[in-house]
Amino acid sequence: MKTLLNEHEHEKASNSYLMSLVAIIGGLPLPIINLLATLFFYLNHRNDSYFVRWHCTQALFSQIPLVLLNTITFWWTMSIIFGNNFITNLYVGYVISVIIFNIIEFVATIYTIIQVRKGIHITWWFYGPLTNLICKIKV
Amino acid sequence: MKKVFFEGILFIAIFASSVFLLSQINWVSIFKINEYRKVNEKKIGDILWDMIKSNHEENKNVFVHKTIDSLVARVCVANHIDKKDIQVHILESDEVNAFALPGGHLVIYSSLIEATDNPEELTGVIAHEIAHIQLHHVVKKLIKEIGISAIFAVTAGGNKTVIKQMGNILSSTAFDRQFEQGADMQAVEYLINANIHPKSLADFLQKLAEKENNSLKYLTWVSTHPNTEERAKYILKQSSNKKITAKPIFSPQTWKRLKKEIH
Repeated sequence: MKTLLNEHEHEKASNSYLMSLVAIIGGLPLPIINLLATLFFYLNHRNDSYFVRWHCTQALFSQIPLVLLNTITFWWTMSIIFGNNFITNLYVGYVISVIIFNIIEFVATIYTIIQVRKGIHITWWFYGPLTNLICKIKV
Repeated sequence: MKKVFFEGILFIAIFASSVFLLSQINWVSIFKINEYRKVNEKKIGDILWDMIKSNHEENKNVFVHKTIDSLVARVCVANHIDKKDIQVHILESDEVNAFALPGGHLVIYSSLIEATDNPEELTGVIAHEIAHIQLHHVVKKLIKEIGISAIFAVTAGGNKTVIKQMGNILSSTAFDRQFEQGADMQAVEYLINANIHPKSLADFLQKLAEKENNSLKYLTWVSTHPNTEERAKYILKQSSNKKITAKPIFSPQTWKRLKKEIH
């Protein structure tokens, strides 16, 4: 579904996803940085057009589970290095799952950046319907 | 709303299934994590033991070694620990101290043997140090204190200053509270399984705490194992609801001879 908005609107909406990628690169190993980056971007653009707001919200929501999963990975790893825990099959299984989810999210984010930049509306699994519930067209 | 709920649940289910299925694979064995850790710990332990040995006189009395070995064996056999993984070293020193090195080296100072009143107390200290070895506290302590890169540097070729620093850390600084409590709780289990009442470890800690208050010198084991009174209390608490069948370790004559030979 292609929108009839101007190029500038497309760019802003697309940048909301770009934020999370830039912050991932800059924020490693602190997983909270990408959430904060998308949150600040959302706060800055919450009064913009519906298209921009909608994508800022979806980008923000998509970061929340990732931050939770990555934070657990971070502290679990710390507890193995410094604490009483050991490397177990469950830990390795969890880390691999988190890496797979991060890769899926990374690929989906890049695809969405390109499509939204072209003005094509992309709705993600779960995050899209959730965004629809919260982000309404202002009358 | 229904769609969001359904997709959310499915999202969690997919992730949980992924973790569950992936954790069924024996990654620890595939990546040889335990073997790799064992080899590296042994390497570091051997380097540290060589350094410590060069600064102390080792007790070579066969009877003393055999007797202490029998205490270690009692704990190991009862707890399915491979005795070959624990190498006991007895050093002549007027410090009351015992400590573990990576790779299963257990160092006991002669004065600590002298300071114990019965074989049960000595076994209590040994069980505590074996617990540190089995729970890999020693390497974790080194990582905390000097960093993981320094440890890699030592295994890669050795840096004398870092090795010396490691030796000092392990022989004369305390583990943190979490590790001490972990080792105490594990030692209680070891002692109960070996038919030794954990009260003996608590008694020894109490005794050292009293001596510490009387400003007795050379009580290094107290300074490296602080909060002795509190620890004695929770050791007693931990063992209070357990069924313990205490059996003597060896005869009073053997104990007397050990004390005589170590003196």
